[in-house]
Amino acid sequence: MKLRQLFTLDGVNLELESESKDDILKELIQLLDLEEKSEAILFKTLKRRENLGSTGIGKGIAIPHCRSLVVNELRLAYGRKPGGVDFNAIDGEPVYNFFLIVAPPLEVSNQYLPVLGKIAQFAKDPDIPGKLTEMEDPQDFLDLLEDRAP
Amino acid sequence: MTAAADRARMDPQLMLLLELQDLRAQRKELAESEQAGQVESEHFHIDPTAAGQELDLKIAELEGELDPGVRARYERILPSRDRVVVPVINGVCYGCFVSIPTATAGDQESHTDVQGCEHCGSFIYILG
Repeated sequence: MKLRQLFTLDGVNLELESESKDDILKELIQLLDLEEKSEAILFKTLKRRENLGSTGIGKGIAIPHCRSLVVNELRLAYGRKPGGVDFNAIDGEPVYNFFLIVAPPLEVSNQYLPVLGKIAQFAKDPDIPGKLTEMEDPQDFLDLLEDRAP
Repeated sequence: MTAAADRARMDPQLMLLLELQDLRAQRKELAESEQAGQVESEHFHIDPTAAGQELDLKIAELEGELDPGVRARYERILPSRDRVVVPVINGVCYGCFVSIPTATAGDQESHTDVQGCEHCGSFIYILG
């Protein structure tokens, strides 16, 4: 399955407002439209994953990810923080682009790890950070995936 | 307490069980999936062995916070089941795929008690 098929317009926010790593995670989680209790659990699980090592892979991109019982299918969201935020990224630079990936503990289709790999591969394309900065509305993001993502 | 706060309220023991379940899922994946270790080390510079040890410590710490009754049941379920907590979706327990009583399935508004599936014994979390 192509990455484009896994994102929806509702799961894209080009104007994240938060100024801290925790609040960015919470804002991203809200894009998944879960019930409040599930949001709290998911936040804790994502934080635990971040404590193992930041998912900020450098060049202004982070890919917070985890498996959690609070979703019953693979869920993805994208957020952009125009001013950037300190996310303890590998290169120590601010992060502007966030790809959130959450999968249930068991998936019949087993897409989680391949999708995680595809997003990392997409994000590492040298042109992509610039293209992400230029986007003007959420549809531009979906179009970019359609054109450039595996 | 406001209606919104009440909706957000969850039994702390259920919260712990859900955290444990998610951590165990991460741990199992790191231990059993070569692909998981590869993705985490290649893209995120994580050492899968060290991460696994860290997760083990956190799991043990959280298990220590379970109430004795909940912990006893947790330890009874653990050896025989991959997942100690399972979702209930549309009234069906995803541990055993048997319908659970409507009164239990209808409790999704509160999640104020730790509940189990009467059929398979797994702890349950009502997802929808």
